Amino acid sequence: MRVIWWLGSVFLVSIISIVLSHHGALDPVRNVSLRASAPVEGGLRDIASPISDFVDGVTDHGDVVRENEQLRQENERLQKLIAEHDDALARIKQLEDALDVKASHPEDQFLTVNVIAQDPSGLKRAIAIDRGQSDGIDEGMVVLSRNGTLVGTVSASYKNYAWVRLVTDPDSTVNAQVDTAGAATSSGDASGSAQVLTETPAPTTAAQATPAPSVSQGAGTPVLPASTGPIRGVATGDLRDGIVLDLLPSDARVTAGSQVITSGLGGNYPRSLLIGSVTSVDERPQSPFKKATIEPAADLSRLDTVLVLISFKPERLAGP
Amino acid sequence: MAFALAWFLAVLNVSAMPYIKVLGVTPDLVLIFAASWVIVRGQDEGLVVVPMAGLLRDLVSSDPVGTSVLAMAPIVLLAAAVRLQAMDTDFAPALGVVAAGSLLYGIISMIVLAATGEGTPLFYSIFRVVIPAAIVNALFTPIIYLPVHWLSPRKMERFQAGRLASQL
Repeated sequence: MRVIWWLGSVFLVSIISIVLSHHGALDPVRNVSLRASAPVEGGLRDIASPISDFVDGVTDHGDVVRENEQLRQENERLQKLIAEHDDALARIKQLEDALDVKASHPEDQFLTVNVIAQDPSGLKRAIAIDRGQSDGIDEGMVVLSRNGTLVGTVSASYKNYAWVRLVTDPDSTVNAQVDTAGAATSSGDASGSAQVLTETPAPTTAAQATPAPSVSQGAGTPVLPASTGPIRGVATGDLRDGIVLDLLPSDARVTAGSQVITSGLGGNYPRSLLIGSVTSVDERPQSPFKKATIEPAADLSRLDTVLVLISFKPERLAGP
Repeated sequence: MAFALAWFLAVLNVSAMPYIKVLGVTPDLVLIFAASWVIVRGQDEGLVVVPMAGLLRDLVSSDPVGTSVLAMAPIVLLAAAVRLQAMDTDFAPALGVVAAGSLLYGIISMIVLAATGEGTPLFYSIFRVVIPAAIVNALFTPIIYLPVHWLSPRKMERFQAGRLASQL
């Protein structure tokens, strides 16, 4: 009988807590909790990371893993450069055609933050960062890797800490387009994120605002003829495949290796941020749309430092 | 002591443990700890330790506060059911409670996440996350169960009595 009463009480208190937490009423408590645990978490991550590398090395192909990691980073950087190059070419062509130059390119600012925790449940893909509302971080803000590729968005922001929903989380949805060389893309400039690689130092302990060349604001997409327009779709996080690019036109020419960037539609992400590259395409004769599986450009399982784009105001944060 | 251990394991869970992936999932040390504690120390302590461990887990993870408290509650019932079976050892029941508790934990978490707008794909989550997590947590049970067992009052009494006897 006592256990039944206990169970009822726990159920009631839990439901109330979940509701309060969902509405942000318990954010101060979580902030205090993260503040207390962050130093230990940081220390444990610092210890675990080399141990993990060591174990990987012992268990047969450590050198290959390390080399693969270096090549992956290099590949990520080069892919980003190629994507920007293609986008810049397309934009030049469009500007020549349209003679319509965007007036303002406000300087973007990135906040360099450290990753202190990672959600352990396999049902989510999220990381915790050591900066929050007091540093200007708000829900919905875009988070990039050190190489300037898309990592995710801030899903919950407390006073000094925040949780970031990764692009591979099932609840992550990004308007994307396949970066086909020579395709006419809409207005917006080449992201300055590539420069972040050279301008932002590798892991720092203190947050710093890093001015970087402009990133477009994702607005003003002109209507282009279908044959010359970009191949657009919706990139959704997937627990199994990482990211799935859905709603691609059935006649779209998408091949493995194609790069996928943000389209900027909807205004929640800047244009031309590299998301990843296509690994396979799912074509079904009867289906009106194609699907493609994307491998994220950033290694999301080993993030230690990320950049929060604090100067870009997502549409969802903008007032009516 | 239970509070300190649960807090440390909760912190370990979100910091170092994500580097360890077995069958694609990370072992949940807090859940294993709560189940081991109830089995070794009994229901009375479990009624306090299980919700406390759940709360500490929630406070350092991204789940809504209360999710783990709710999802871990069945562990107490499972432990009570297991204790009805007369067995010579606590270890086998602990394995069973951890495995079954992990399954229920995953399912309840999915329901809570769906209710708060963070739904996950049902079949994939069950077959690729929840079930593997139950197996992996059971595999990692000795790592937590044995220290909890050694620190139990019964074991300590036996140890002290043995030392006294050897001195005599």
